[in-house]
Amino acid sequence: MAKSDVTKPISLDPRGGRPREKCMTYIDGVDRILNGGVPIGNIVLLAGTVGSGKTTLAMEFLINGAKNGETCCYISVTEPSSKMLSNLQTYGFFDDSLVKEGKLNIFDLTVINDRLGVERLDGTYTAKDMEALLGAFEDIVDELGITRLVIDSITAVCYQLPDKGSIRNFIFRLSQFLTTFGCTTMLISETIVDSNVQTYSIFGVEEAVADGVVLMGNIVRQGDLLRSLQVVKMRGTKHSRARHLIELTPVGLAVVPLLKWGQDGRQAFT
Amino acid sequence: MGTRWEAGVHMKIADIAKNVIKSINEGDTLSTISLPASTFHEHTVKLASVLLNKKLGGIYVTTSRPSSHITAELEATKADLSDLYFVDLVSMTVGGNTTDPRTLFVESPTMLESILLNISLLERRLRAKRRFVMFDSVNGLSIYSDPKVLREFINVLGNSMRIKEIYSMLMTVTEQTDEDLSSALDLLSDRVIGD
Repeated sequence: MAKSDVTKPISLDPRGGRPREKCMTYIDGVDRILNGGVPIGNIVLLAGTVGSGKTTLAMEFLINGAKNGETCCYISVTEPSSKMLSNLQTYGFFDDSLVKEGKLNIFDLTVINDRLGVERLDGTYTAKDMEALLGAFEDIVDELGITRLVIDSITAVCYQLPDKGSIRNFIFRLSQFLTTFGCTTMLISETIVDSNVQTYSIFGVEEAVADGVVLMGNIVRQGDLLRSLQVVKMRGTKHSRARHLIELTPVGLAVVPLLKWGQDGRQAFT
Repeated sequence: MGTRWEAGVHMKIADIAKNVIKSINEGDTLSTISLPASTFHEHTVKLASVLLNKKLGGIYVTTSRPSSHITAELEATKADLSDLYFVDLVSMTVGGNTTDPRTLFVESPTMLESILLNISLLERRLRAKRRFVMFDSVNGLSIYSDPKVLREFINVLGNSMRIKEIYSMLMTVTEQTDEDLSSALDLLSDRVIGD
């Protein structure tokens, strides 16, 4: 046997094949969990309960991308962009110049709705409104050359759609053009815990259409709340499925494996 | 299995320091240091002082006293504190001062994973090539954590430090360490120094 055959390392990746190009989050620990990052163009549902760190993680994902030369976009559905910007100032990893240079773009959905003339008194989009909104998102991504997008939250958008079929259609159409543009997207999903069971979304549709589901939550340990993160699915990459602890540090979010005996075994997910 | 040094005899601080330095020089990465309650605080501070004055950089994890108290005691020994940082699990719990720039404060002693995370953050700030982590004390955590959780944490902590190649000292109070914990520490450590 030739020497080169003997010393050649054996690949231990059971998937084999050629890995997809990744969009690094540059968040300590998260890229390790995702085996290098989110596959480019994936639509990821970032699902979590209140206070679990969804917006912070999504924002750091955008800011880190912007710092590395990408053009990023945050669409705020639940709060005015001015309020979001003032909250951002409190993060050590935020840099004002990213907004001024157009690397980090923040839009209000209410402003987009006003411009499109789709704001309804009863709060429900028609099929025509939905088309207009998808068109507006596509224009933003195409014209600004957006490579990272966050919609915060997709749950609030879904509340304005008439039925589950429309939700599925909306997210499917959204993911189609975002994937075509190679835009890696995080859709924030607000979830609740009911009888120790945490769902991935309110409507139960979003997770089926998304390429990835990242679940964030609060774990109770002797009365203290700990933030947790777990990747449930991520198409196009192998990834850890273990639960991790996530914490906001002076240099941004950091992730470490959660102690196995230190979590409430009663909490389940569906 | 770790090697127990001079079991059953109260060691003098000079001997403990000598054994720790020998352990570092021989390439160990993890030691358990067992001290009697009567001299525990005094000897722990003196040991840190000896290592700092030998130009090692260090991270001091405190679970039993606020870092401000330990800083004051170290200053009294004329230790060089320029490359020393703290992870403090006490001050926030008791409403103490939490403004010291050399200290990362953990909200609650139940948040064990935060200790690992904060050690990682502080490790980047250390300037010295030879570095140590002093964990004062394992027993301090047992007040708040279930023995199963504590043993798992010690195992994760010990192995994390091994990977980082930082010399780590797990300080234990002899009288408060039961057989189960003691054997877990023995198994994990390169050496057991002290009583």
